[in-house]
Amino acid sequence: MFLLPILLALRATEADAALIVRLQRREPQALAELYDRYGRLAYGLILRVVRDTGIAEDLVQETFLRVWNRVQGFDAQKGAIGPWLLAVARNRAIDYIRSAGGRERNTVEFEETDHPSLYTDMEPDILASDKARIVKAAVEKLSSHQRQVIELAYFEGLSQTEMAERMGQPLGTVKTWVRAALKTLRDELGAQAVSV
Amino acid sequence: MNCQELRDHYELYALGLAENPERDEVRAHLDRGCEVCMPAMKRAREMVALLSGTAAPAAPSPKLRRRILASVGVEQRAFGWTPLLAGTTIMFLAAAIYFGGREWDFSREVVRLTAQSRGQMIELTRLNEAFQLMNGAETTVTSFGEKKPVPKGKLYYNPSRGALLIASNLPQAPAGKAYELWYIPKAKGASPARAGMFQSQNDGTVMQVIRGPIDANTTAAIAVTLENEAGVDAPTTTPVIVAPLAPALQ
Repeated sequence: MFLLPILLALRATEADAALIVRLQRREPQALAELYDRYGRLAYGLILRVVRDTGIAEDLVQETFLRVWNRVQGFDAQKGAIGPWLLAVARNRAIDYIRSAGGRERNTVEFEETDHPSLYTDMEPDILASDKARIVKAAVEKLSSHQRQVIELAYFEGLSQTEMAERMGQPLGTVKTWVRAALKTLRDELGAQAVSV
Repeated sequence: MNCQELRDHYELYALGLAENPERDEVRAHLDRGCEVCMPAMKRAREMVALLSGTAAPAAPSPKLRRRILASVGVEQRAFGWTPLLAGTTIMFLAAAIYFGGREWDFSREVVRLTAQSRGQMIELTRLNEAFQLMNGAETTVTSFGEKKPVPKGKLYYNPSRGALLIASNLPQAPAGKAYELWYIPKAKGASPARAGMFQSQNDGTVMQVIRGPIDANTTAAIAVTLENEAGVDAPTTTPVIVAPLAPALQ
Protein backbone atom coordinates (compact mmCIF):
# COMPACT_ATOMS: atom_id res chain seq x y z
CA MET A 1 0.00 0.00 0.00
CA PHE A 2 1.79 3.04 -1.26
CA LEU A 3 -1.05 5.37 -0.44
CA LEU A 4 -0.51 5.16 3.29
CA PRO A 5 3.01 6.59 3.37
CA ILE A 6 1.92 9.30 0.99
CA LEU A 7 -0.85 10.29 3.31
CA LEU A 8 1.42 10.16 6.32
CA ALA A 9 3.95 12.33 4.52
CA LEU A 10 1.37 14.80 3.31
CA ARG A 11 -0.16 15.01 6.75
CA ALA A 12 2.96 16.37 8.41
CA THR A 13 1.65 19.91 8.31
CA GLU A 14 2.99 21.53 11.48
CA ALA A 15 6.30 19.76 11.16
CA ASP A 16 6.46 20.85 7.53
CA ALA A 17 5.98 24.49 8.46
CA ALA A 18 8.94 24.40 10.82
CA LEU A 19 10.94 22.46 8.29
CA ILE A 20 10.30 25.04 5.59
CA VAL A 21 11.54 27.82 7.87
CA ARG A 22 14.73 25.89 8.49
CA LEU A 23 15.16 25.19 4.79
CA GLN A 24 14.76 28.88 4.11
CA ARG A 25 17.50 29.53 6.68
CA ARG A 26 19.69 27.19 4.62
CA GLU A 27 20.13 24.63 7.38
CA PRO A 28 21.58 21.53 5.70
CA GLN A 29 20.15 19.28 8.41
CA ALA A 30 16.69 20.43 7.37
CA LEU A 31 17.37 19.05 3.90
CA ALA A 32 18.34 15.75 5.51
CA GLU A 33 15.04 15.68 7.37
CA LEU A 34 13.16 16.60 4.21
CA TYR A 35 14.79 13.68 2.46
CA ASP A 36 13.99 11.32 5.31
CA ARG A 37 10.36 12.37 5.10
CA TYR A 38 9.81 12.41 1.34
CA GLY A 39 12.80 10.67 -0.24
CA ARG A 40 11.14 7.30 -0.69
CA LEU A 41 7.93 8.82 -2.04
CA ALA A 42 9.79 10.93 -4.56
CA TYR A 43 11.93 7.99 -5.58
CA GLY A 44 8.93 5.69 -6.03
CA LEU A 45 7.16 8.25 -8.16
CA ILE A 46 10.19 9.00 -10.32
CA LEU A 47 11.06 5.34 -10.73
CA ARG A 48 7.51 4.70 -11.91
CA VAL A 49 8.10 7.26 -14.61
CA VAL A 50 11.66 6.57 -15.77
CA ARG A 51 11.84 2.85 -14.84
CA ASP A 52 15.59 2.98 -14.21
CA THR A 53 16.95 3.00 -10.67
CA GLY A 54 20.16 4.90 -11.45
CA ILE A 55 18.36 7.60 -13.39
CA ALA A 56 15.67 7.74 -10.72
CA GLU A 57 18.27 8.44 -8.06
CA ASP A 58 19.83 11.17 -10.18
CA LEU A 59 16.43 12.76 -10.62
CA VAL A 60 15.63 12.49 -6.92
CA GLN A 61 18.84 14.36 -6.27
CA GLU A 62 17.83 17.01 -8.80
CA THR A 63 14.42 17.24 -7.17
CA PHE A 64 15.76 17.91 -3.70
CA LEU A 65 18.31 20.39 -4.99
CA ARG A 66 15.57 22.20 -6.87
CA VAL A 67 13.46 22.40 -3.73
CA TRP A 68 16.51 23.52 -1.75
CA ASN A 69 17.19 26.30 -4.22
CA ARG A 70 13.58 27.45 -4.62
CA VAL A 71 12.13 27.04 -1.16
CA GLN A 72 12.28 30.78 -0.51
CA GLY A 73 9.04 31.17 -2.45
CA PHE A 74 7.05 29.16 0.04
CA ASP A 75 4.80 30.38 2.83
CA ALA A 76 6.13 28.65 5.91
CA GLN A 77 2.91 29.27 7.87
CA LYS A 78 0.92 27.14 5.47
CA GLY A 79 3.80 24.83 4.69
CA ALA A 80 2.68 22.08 2.32
CA ILE A 81 6.04 21.17 1.00
CA GLY A 82 5.17 17.53 0.33
CA PRO A 83 2.76 18.04 -2.59
CA TRP A 84 5.09 20.61 -4.06
CA LEU A 85 8.08 18.31 -3.79
CA LEU A 86 6.11 15.50 -5.44
CA ALA A 87 5.11 17.87 -8.24
CA VAL A 88 8.74 18.81 -8.72
CA ALA A 89 9.73 15.14 -8.69
CA ARG A 90 7.11 14.23 -11.25
CA ASN A 91 8.07 17.10 -13.51
CA ARG A 92 11.79 16.25 -13.25
CA ALA A 93 11.02 12.69 -14.30
CA ILE A 94 8.72 13.60 -17.13
CA ASP A 95 11.12 16.26 -18.32
CA TYR A 96 13.81 13.59 -18.43
CA ILE A 97 11.87 11.03 -20.45
CA ARG A 98 10.66 13.72 -22.84
CA SER A 99 14.22 14.87 -23.40
CA ALA A 100 15.49 11.31 -23.74
CA GLY A 101 12.74 10.56 -26.21
CA GLY A 102 13.45 13.66 -28.23
CA ARG A 103 10.14 15.15 -27.28
CA GLU A 104 9.52 18.81 -26.57
CA ARG A 105 8.95 19.82 -23.00
CA ASN A 106 5.56 21.09 -21.93
CA THR A 107 7.18 24.07 -20.31
CA VAL A 108 4.04 25.74 -19.12
CA GLU A 109 2.81 22.76 -17.16
CA PHE A 110 6.18 22.03 -15.65
CA GLU A 111 6.71 25.43 -14.08
CA GLU A 112 5.64 24.11 -10.76
CA THR A 113 6.97 27.06 -8.79
CA ASP A 114 5.07 29.71 -10.67
CA HIS A 115 2.23 29.61 -8.19
CA PRO A 116 3.45 28.26 -4.87
CA SER A 117 0.22 29.28 -3.19
CA LEU A 118 -1.46 26.56 -5.21
CA TYR A 119 0.44 24.15 -2.99
CA THR A 120 0.54 26.02 0.27
CA ASP A 121 -3.22 26.45 0.48
CA MET A 122 -3.83 22.95 -0.79
CA GLU A 123 -2.88 21.33 2.43
CA PRO A 124 -6.06 21.38 4.51
CA ASP A 125 -7.93 19.52 1.78
CA ILE A 126 -5.32 17.20 0.44
CA LEU A 127 -4.42 15.93 3.85
CA ALA A 128 -7.83 14.44 4.46
CA SER A 129 -7.32 10.70 4.45
CA ASP A 130 -10.92 10.16 3.42
CA LYS A 131 -10.33 12.14 0.30
CA ALA A 132 -7.19 10.19 -0.54
CA ARG A 133 -9.06 6.95 -0.12
CA ILE A 134 -11.81 8.29 -2.30
CA VAL A 135 -9.38 9.26 -5.05
CA LYS A 136 -7.89 5.81 -4.99
CA ALA A 137 -11.31 4.25 -5.15
CA ALA A 138 -12.24 6.61 -7.96
CA VAL A 139 -9.18 5.58 -9.99
CA GLU A 140 -10.21 1.97 -9.59
CA LYS A 141 -13.62 2.83 -10.97
CA LEU A 142 -12.16 4.07 -14.22
CA SER A 143 -12.33 1.91 -17.29
CA SER A 144 -9.07 0.45 -18.50
CA HIS A 145 -8.79 3.03 -21.26
CA GLN A 146 -9.61 5.86 -18.92
CA ARG A 147 -7.07 4.65 -16.36
CA GLN A 148 -4.48 4.23 -19.11
CA VAL A 149 -4.79 7.78 -20.37
CA ILE A 150 -4.59 9.15 -16.85
CA GLU A 151 -1.43 7.13 -16.19
CA LEU A 152 0.12 8.12 -19.50
CA ALA A 153 -0.56 11.74 -18.68
CA TYR A 154 0.57 11.64 -15.08
CA PHE A 155 3.49 9.22 -15.19
CA GLU A 156 4.75 9.78 -18.73
CA GLY A 157 3.69 13.35 -19.37
CA LEU A 158 2.19 12.54 -22.72
CA SER A 159 -0.01 15.07 -24.41
CA GLN A 160 -3.36 13.92 -25.69
CA THR A 161 -1.99 13.86 -29.23
CA GLU A 162 0.92 11.72 -28.11
CA MET A 163 -1.41 9.37 -26.28
CA ALA A 164 -3.51 9.00 -29.41
CA GLU A 165 -0.41 8.07 -31.38
CA ARG A 166 0.80 5.68 -28.68
CA MET A 167 -2.54 3.96 -28.33
CA GLY A 168 -3.39 4.03 -32.04
CA GLN A 169 -6.65 5.73 -31.32
CA PRO A 170 -8.24 8.83 -32.77
CA LEU A 171 -7.41 12.01 -30.88
CA GLY A 172 -11.08 12.67 -30.29
CA THR A 173 -11.46 9.27 -28.63
CA VAL A 174 -8.52 9.91 -26.38
CA LYS A 175 -9.88 13.31 -25.40
CA THR A 176 -13.18 11.71 -24.58
CA TRP A 177 -11.50 9.14 -22.36
CA VAL A 178 -9.48 11.86 -20.64
CA ARG A 179 -12.47 14.06 -19.96
CA ALA A 180 -14.55 11.13 -18.81
CA ALA A 181 -11.80 9.99 -16.47
CA LEU A 182 -11.36 13.45 -15.00
CA LYS A 183 -15.10 13.84 -14.60
CA THR A 184 -15.32 10.53 -12.79
CA LEU A 185 -12.56 11.58 -10.46
CA ARG A 186 -14.13 14.98 -9.92
CA ASP A 187 -17.59 13.54 -9.36
CA GLU A 188 -16.34 10.92 -6.97
CA LEU A 189 -14.54 13.54 -4.98
CA GLY A 190 -17.51 15.89 -5.02
CA ALA A 191 -20.03 13.21 -4.08
CA GLN A 192 -17.89 11.90 -1.29
CA ALA A 193 -17.13 15.39 -0.07
CA VAL A 194 -20.86 15.96 0.38
CA SER A 195 -21.34 12.66 2.14
CA VAL A 196 -18.29 12.92 4.39
CA MET B 1 -12.23 33.46 -21.78
CA ASN B 2 -14.06 33.79 -18.55
CA CYS B 3 -13.75 31.52 -15.57
CA GLN B 4 -16.91 29.62 -16.43
CA GLU B 5 -15.49 28.68 -19.80
CA LEU B 6 -12.26 27.47 -18.19
CA ARG B 7 -14.03 25.29 -15.62
CA ASP B 8 -13.38 22.02 -17.47
CA HIS B 9 -9.73 22.77 -18.07
CA TYR B 10 -8.30 22.96 -14.56
CA GLU B 11 -7.55 19.25 -14.23
CA LEU B 12 -6.25 19.16 -17.79
CA TYR B 13 -3.89 22.00 -16.92
CA ALA B 14 -2.78 20.34 -13.70
CA LEU B 15 -2.08 17.11 -15.56
CA GLY B 16 -0.22 18.91 -18.32
CA LEU B 17 -2.87 18.08 -20.90
CA ALA B 18 -4.32 21.54 -21.48
CA GLU B 19 -3.92 22.84 -25.00
CA ASN B 20 -3.96 26.34 -26.34
CA PRO B 21 -5.74 28.63 -26.25
CA GLU B 22 -7.19 27.30 -22.97
CA ARG B 23 -3.75 26.65 -21.49
CA ASP B 24 -2.63 30.26 -21.90
CA GLU B 25 -5.98 31.49 -20.62
CA VAL B 26 -5.73 29.41 -17.45
CA ARG B 27 -2.23 30.62 -16.86
CA ALA B 28 -3.24 34.20 -17.33
CA HIS B 29 -5.99 33.81 -14.73
CA LEU B 30 -3.54 32.26 -12.31
CA ASP B 31 -0.98 34.97 -12.92
CA ARG B 32 -3.42 37.65 -11.89
CA GLY B 33 -4.58 35.65 -8.87
CA CYS B 34 -8.07 35.01 -10.16
CA GLU B 35 -10.34 34.37 -7.17
CA VAL B 36 -12.33 31.77 -9.09
CA CYS B 37 -9.54 29.94 -10.87
CA MET B 38 -7.06 29.80 -7.98
CA PRO B 39 -9.21 27.67 -5.63
CA ALA B 40 -10.32 25.51 -8.52
CA MET B 41 -6.74 24.95 -9.55
CA LYS B 42 -5.85 24.04 -5.96
CA ARG B 43 -8.43 21.28 -6.04
CA ALA B 44 -7.12 20.09 -9.39
CA ARG B 45 -3.55 20.03 -8.04
CA GLU B 46 -4.75 18.14 -5.05
CA MET B 47 -6.27 15.43 -7.17
CA VAL B 48 -3.17 15.17 -9.33
CA ALA B 49 -0.88 14.98 -6.29
CA LEU B 50 -2.83 12.04 -4.96
CA LEU B 51 -2.32 10.18 -8.23
CA SER B 52 1.29 9.71 -7.16
CA GLY B 53 0.00 7.20 -4.67
CA THR B 54 -0.69 4.71 -7.45
CA ALA B 55 3.04 4.23 -8.03
CA ALA B 56 4.58 1.05 -6.64
CA PRO B 57 6.63 1.48 -3.46
CA ALA B 58 10.41 1.56 -3.91
CA ALA B 59 13.44 2.44 -1.83
CA PRO B 60 16.53 4.24 -3.10
CA SER B 61 20.03 3.15 -2.14
CA PRO B 62 21.36 4.46 1.19
CA LYS B 63 24.09 6.34 -0.71
CA LEU B 64 21.55 8.67 -2.27
CA ARG B 65 20.99 10.51 0.98
CA ARG B 66 24.71 11.20 1.32
CA ARG B 67 24.91 12.31 -2.30
CA ILE B 68 22.13 14.81 -1.85
CA LEU B 69 23.53 16.22 1.37
CA ALA B 70 27.01 16.36 -0.09
CA SER B 71 25.67 18.35 -3.02
CA VAL B 72 24.68 21.15 -0.63
CA GLY B 73 27.97 20.98 1.21
CA VAL B 74 27.15 18.61 4.05
CA GLU B 75 29.82 16.00 4.48
CA GLN B 76 28.34 12.85 5.91
CA ARG B 77 30.64 10.29 7.33
CA ALA B 78 30.37 6.94 5.67
CA PHE B 79 28.55 4.63 7.96
CA GLY B 80 29.99 2.34 10.27
CA TRP B 81 33.56 2.55 11.14
CA THR B 82 33.73 5.41 13.59
CA PRO B 83 30.94 4.24 15.88
CA LEU B 84 32.04 0.67 15.37
CA LEU B 85 35.61 1.47 16.32
CA ALA B 86 34.45 3.54 19.27
CA GLY B 87 32.24 0.72 20.44
CA THR B 88 34.99 -1.83 20.00
CA THR B 89 37.46 0.37 21.87
CA ILE B 90 35.04 0.84 24.73
CA MET B 91 34.41 -2.87 24.81
CA PHE B 92 38.11 -3.65 24.93
CA LEU B 93 38.69 -1.02 27.62
CA ALA B 94 35.89 -2.48 29.68
CA ALA B 95 37.31 -5.94 29.16
CA ALA B 96 40.81 -4.73 30.07
CA ILE B 97 39.51 -3.07 33.23
CA TYR B 98 37.49 -6.13 34.11
CA PHE B 99 40.24 -8.62 33.46
CA GLY B 100 42.83 -6.23 34.89
CA GLY B 101 40.80 -6.15 38.07
CA ARG B 102 40.49 -9.88 37.99
CA GLU B 103 44.24 -10.13 37.41
CA TRP B 104 44.88 -7.84 40.36
CA ASP B 105 42.57 -9.92 42.52
CA PHE B 106 44.25 -13.08 41.31
CA SER B 107 47.67 -11.62 42.05
CA ARG B 108 46.65 -10.68 45.57
CA GLU B 109 45.16 -14.10 46.08
CA VAL B 110 48.34 -15.76 44.83
CA VAL B 111 50.43 -13.64 47.22
CA ARG B 112 48.11 -14.49 50.08
CA LEU B 113 48.13 -18.19 49.29
CA THR B 114 51.90 -18.17 48.83
CA ALA B 115 52.37 -16.55 52.23
CA GLN B 116 49.91 -18.97 53.75
CA SER B 117 51.68 -21.87 52.11
CA ARG B 118 55.04 -20.60 53.28
CA GLY B 119 53.73 -20.26 56.83
CA GLN B 120 52.23 -23.71 56.69
CA MET B 121 55.46 -25.07 55.30
CA ILE B 122 57.40 -23.48 58.14
CA GLU B 123 54.94 -24.82 60.66
CA LEU B 124 55.09 -28.24 59.02
CA THR B 125 58.86 -28.19 59.13
CA ARG B 126 58.77 -27.14 62.75
CA LEU B 127 56.34 -29.91 63.58
CA ASN B 128 58.44 -32.37 61.65
CA GLU B 129 61.46 -31.28 63.63
CA ALA B 130 59.48 -31.60 66.84
CA PHE B 131 58.26 -35.09 66.00
CA GLN B 132 61.71 -36.23 64.92
CA LEU B 133 63.09 -34.89 68.15
CA MET B 134 60.32 -36.41 70.25
CA ASN B 135 60.72 -39.78 68.51
CA GLY B 136 64.50 -39.81 68.51
CA ALA B 137 66.09 -42.86 70.05
CA GLU B 138 68.15 -40.75 72.43
CA THR B 139 65.33 -38.43 73.40
CA THR B 140 64.39 -38.09 77.04
CA VAL B 141 61.63 -36.03 78.53
CA THR B 142 61.28 -34.09 81.74
CA SER B 143 58.31 -32.24 83.14
CA PHE B 144 58.38 -28.85 84.75
CA GLY B 145 56.03 -26.63 86.67
CA GLU B 146 53.84 -29.45 87.80
CA LYS B 147 53.69 -28.16 91.33
CA LYS B 148 53.20 -24.54 90.32
CA PRO B 149 50.12 -22.85 88.94
CA VAL B 150 51.94 -21.46 85.86
CA PRO B 151 53.49 -22.32 83.52
CA LYS B 152 53.97 -26.04 83.08
CA GLY B 153 54.94 -28.50 80.34
CA LYS B 154 57.59 -30.89 79.09
CA LEU B 155 61.06 -30.65 77.66
CA TYR B 156 62.14 -33.24 75.13
CA TYR B 157 65.88 -33.48 74.98
CA ASN B 158 68.01 -35.19 72.36
CA PRO B 159 71.76 -34.76 72.72
CA SER B 160 72.42 -34.65 68.98
CA ARG B 161 69.27 -32.86 67.72
CA GLY B 162 68.51 -30.38 70.48
CA ALA B 163 65.43 -29.87 72.62
CA LEU B 164 61.70 -29.34 72.24
CA LEU B 165 59.92 -27.17 74.76
CA ILE B 166 56.18 -27.65 75.06
CA ALA B 167 54.43 -25.50 77.65
CA SER B 168 51.05 -24.07 78.61
CA ASN B 169 49.73 -21.35 80.89
CA LEU B 170 52.44 -19.08 79.60
CA PRO B 171 51.24 -15.48 79.89
CA GLN B 172 51.27 -13.49 76.65
CA ALA B 173 54.32 -11.27 76.56
CA PRO B 174 53.54 -7.55 76.98
CA ALA B 175 54.16 -5.19 74.07
CA GLY B 176 57.88 -4.82 73.39
CA LYS B 177 58.68 -7.97 75.33
CA ALA B 178 59.41 -11.54 74.25
CA TYR B 179 60.46 -14.78 75.88
CA GLU B 180 64.12 -15.74 75.61
CA LEU B 181 65.56 -19.24 75.97
CA TRP B 182 68.73 -19.92 77.87
CA TYR B 183 71.19 -22.74 78.27
CA ILE B 184 71.78 -22.98 82.02
CA PRO B 185 75.33 -24.29 82.64
CA LYS B 186 76.17 -26.83 85.34
CA ALA B 187 79.37 -25.08 86.31
CA LYS B 188 78.98 -22.68 89.13
CA GLY B 189 79.71 -19.10 88.19
CA ALA B 190 79.25 -19.75 84.48
CA SER B 191 76.84 -17.47 82.65
CA PRO B 192 73.72 -18.72 80.84
CA ALA B 193 73.97 -18.79 77.04
CA ARG B 194 71.31 -17.55 74.63
CA ALA B 195 69.23 -20.32 73.03
CA GLY B 196 66.66 -18.31 71.04
CA MET B 197 63.52 -16.22 71.43
CA PHE B 198 59.79 -16.85 70.96
CA GLN B 199 56.33 -15.48 71.56
CA SER B 200 53.65 -17.55 73.25
CA GLN B 201 50.35 -18.24 71.49
CA ASN B 202 47.17 -16.43 72.40
CA ASP B 203 46.01 -19.48 74.34
CA GLY B 204 49.20 -19.43 76.41
CA THR B 205 50.79 -22.44 74.72
CA VAL B 206 54.18 -22.74 73.11
CA MET B 207 56.05 -25.36 71.16
CA GLN B 208 59.60 -24.25 70.56
CA VAL B 209 62.46 -26.23 69.01
CA ILE B 210 66.03 -25.56 70.16
CA ARG B 211 68.18 -26.83 67.32
CA GLY B 212 71.63 -28.25 67.59
CA PRO B 213 73.45 -30.63 69.87
CA ILE B 214 73.28 -29.95 73.58
CA ASP B 215 75.84 -31.40 75.89
CA ALA B 216 74.14 -32.61 79.03
CA ASN B 217 77.52 -32.77 80.74
CA THR B 218 77.83 -29.01 80.67
CA THR B 219 74.18 -27.91 80.47
CA ALA B 220 71.90 -28.43 83.42
CA ALA B 221 68.64 -27.03 82.13
CA ILE B 222 66.78 -24.87 79.67
CA ALA B 223 65.31 -21.72 81.15
CA VAL B 224 62.91 -19.06 79.88
CA THR B 225 62.89 -15.42 80.92
CA LEU B 226 60.81 -12.44 79.79
CA GLU B 227 63.08 -9.92 78.10
CA ASN B 228 62.98 -7.00 75.68
CA GLU B 229 61.97 -8.30 72.25
CA ALA B 230 65.38 -7.38 70.80
CA GLY B 231 66.92 -9.88 73.13
CA VAL B 232 69.61 -9.53 75.81
CA ASP B 233 72.99 -11.12 76.41
CA ALA B 234 72.18 -12.22 79.94
CA PRO B 235 68.91 -12.86 81.77
CA THR B 236 67.54 -9.78 83.49
CA THR B 237 64.42 -11.32 85.02
CA THR B 238 63.57 -14.35 87.07
CA PRO B 239 62.97 -17.39 84.84
CA VAL B 240 59.33 -18.35 84.32
CA ILE B 241 60.42 -21.84 83.20
CA VAL B 242 63.35 -23.93 84.28
CA ALA B 243 63.34 -27.34 82.62
CA PRO B 244 66.21 -29.62 83.58
CA LEU B 245 67.72 -31.87 80.94
CA ALA B 246 66.99 -35.49 81.64
CA PRO B 247 69.99 -37.77 81.48
CA ALA B 248 70.51 -39.30 78.08
CA LEU B 249 69.16 -42.81 77.53
CA GLN B 250 71.72 -45.57 77.50
